[in-house]
Amino acid sequence: MTVASQVKQTLAGLKGVQGTLRIYSTQTQDEETLSVYKEALETTEGIINDLEKRLQGLEFQEPQYKGN
Amino acid sequence: MAMWLQILYRSIALFILVIVVARISGKRNITRVPTYKFICYHAVAIIAALISVNVIKEVVFGLIALGVWILFPIILDYLSLKSKWFHDLVNGKETVLIKHGKIMEESLLQTRLTGEELLRELRYKNAFNLADVEFAVMETTGEINVYLKSDKKPVTAHDLGIKAAPQTEPQTVILDGNVLNEPLASLGLNKEWLRIQLENMGVSLDNVFLGQVDSSGDLYLDLFDDAIELPQPKVKEMVYANMEKAQASLFTYAIETNDENAKAMYEKNAQKLKQLMEKLKPYLLR
Repeated sequence: MTVASQVKQTLAGLKGVQGTLRIYSTQTQDEETLSVYKEALETTEGIINDLEKRLQGLEFQEPQYKGN
Repeated sequence: MAMWLQILYRSIALFILVIVVARISGKRNITRVPTYKFICYHAVAIIAALISVNVIKEVVFGLIALGVWILFPIILDYLSLKSKWFHDLVNGKETVLIKHGKIMEESLLQTRLTGEELLRELRYKNAFNLADVEFAVMETTGEINVYLKSDKKPVTAHDLGIKAAPQTEPQTVILDGNVLNEPLASLGLNKEWLRIQLENMGVSLDNVFLGQVDSSGDLYLDLFDDAIELPQPKVKEMVYANMEKAQASLFTYAIETNDENAKAMYEKNAQKLKQLMEKLKPYLLR
């Protein structure tokens, strides 16, 4: 497995986490819980963006593995 | 009118009357009322029974007596609500039996409680050892409540310094195969949501005996058919495990990469994720 595909896998995992957190944030009735989930969504969003940028860099460096 | 008919009519009328009275005289537990109320309840019961079996010949006389015994507690209740002074006059005040771990003997005498009885009441409250009790009080209803010494009290999450996620009461949304709309709506959910959840679990509605939704929106089901093993909600644990996995991967990438910028980025994000996991732990795991 290339580095790019490994990063892609982690990225997918994080996106799954973010999706589930988003579901919970819409289901919760409690203000405090909601704010924690919102914060978690923002943090994961930041990490996902960083990883995506890195992924672009990796694919630029190793175009032969692009799409794997 | 035949005697038996008279008794039948009286009994039915009084039965309905007594039910109405019981409904308007409040929801308080009959075993936990001040003594005077206990007496009133009994007086009402006895007078009603006497009218019912025709011992009190004149219904009107019986109803007058019944009315007094029914109305006076209600009036007293109302006045007690309005005035603290009146409340204390009618209900009396609670008596402190143990203070700073020491039994107040004069209070025992005043409440006519023997030492054995006090110990028995303490045992009811799981205080077998007198040395564990800091404070005990006899309420106006005769019940004894106990405050344990601070090192003997049950441990709470607060004592351990653990953050616990706020949780509200679960709502029962399915009972006996029927969807209960009101609790469902109070959670901001609807029948369609429930249908999708049941579909995901592969269960039909008429097989569900009881379904509860907790404050985070997870559905717990109990089925009529106990042979079916249901996957109980483990989504939160999964999310946490996935975050752990992602965090570990980020650390690995940070070690493996030769690019300084990328290394810093991975490390920063791994750190961020770790902090986030700490924060989410009480909400996702418990």
